[in-house]
Amino acid sequence: MGKSKQIGNHKSDKKKNIAKTWKTKRRTKDLDEIHSDMTPTNAAKLLKQEVDYDVTGSAQHYCLHCARYFVDLKAMKEHFRTKVHKRRLKQLREEPYTQAEAERAAGMGSYIPHKAVEVQTQQVEEEMS
Amino acid sequence: MRIEKCYFCSGPVYPGHGMMFVRNDCKAFRFCKSKCHRNFKKKRNPRKTRWTKAFRKAAGKELTVDNSLEFEKRRNIPVKYQRELWNKTVEAMKKVQEIKQKRQARFIFNRLKKGKQLEKEEAINEVKKNIHLIKAPHAGKAKKLEEKMVEKLQEDVDMGDD
Repeated sequence: MGKSKQIGNHKSDKKKNIAKTWKTKRRTKDLDEIHSDMTPTNAAKLLKQEVDYDVTGSAQHYCLHCARYFVDLKAMKEHFRTKVHKRRLKQLREEPYTQAEAERAAGMGSYIPHKAVEVQTQQVEEEMS
Repeated sequence: MRIEKCYFCSGPVYPGHGMMFVRNDCKAFRFCKSKCHRNFKKKRNPRKTRWTKAFRKAAGKELTVDNSLEFEKRRNIPVKYQRELWNKTVEAMKKVQEIKQKRQARFIFNRLKKGKQLEKEEAINEVKKNIHLIKAPHAGKAKKLEEKMVEKLQEDVDMGDD
């Protein structure tokens, strides 16, 4: 599938130096890591974190699928409605790619097609309203 | 020593070649060349990158399920060296490779058959649709016209007789 055309990033500071964002020292979470985060035990831990003043919003508002912290609930809810978040959910609906799959593709065993995974935006507690 | 497979393109990674990236959760990724590493860093999905083996298999471009693919495996049990066994194995490997290549070639040949058939249908359709460009407007009608003329002449002659 062809490269997606980048449109309208002229003013975005994030895209000013793309090569820097690709450095491994700035590496963000991979999709397979997020898949392991989505298991109930890990998810519970990540969604109920202790107050940490070093992290955005004291680590109280975390989007599991995008691996991002938000300042408050309002910002997070707004984020759930964005294109970035929906795109991420779509990416996560596939089984993560593994080394085993790479080996199967190379002819070590028959290739097994990947399955779809059910992914939904995390539930937000409604006690605030 | 082992010939590993590249995480991205599934190519062989020989000892001393390529590079290995160890993520901070201790998971190791091997890459055969910088191209693969670069694409991994850009978080590209190998299943959706056209030139990788994973794409070709996932998209049904290559033979995916076959018994000939079951020989090459990661075996973690060391085998003691025996000359005879070694010779036989090498012989068998050659044979398996031959069969595998044949089957893969046949698979691709069969896959491309459909396109050929569609092409043919398309060509026939095009000719049918645009036949007026090839055929002259009165082609095949000459005989009919002649008959009509003869009829008319006959009629005239008859009229003249009266």
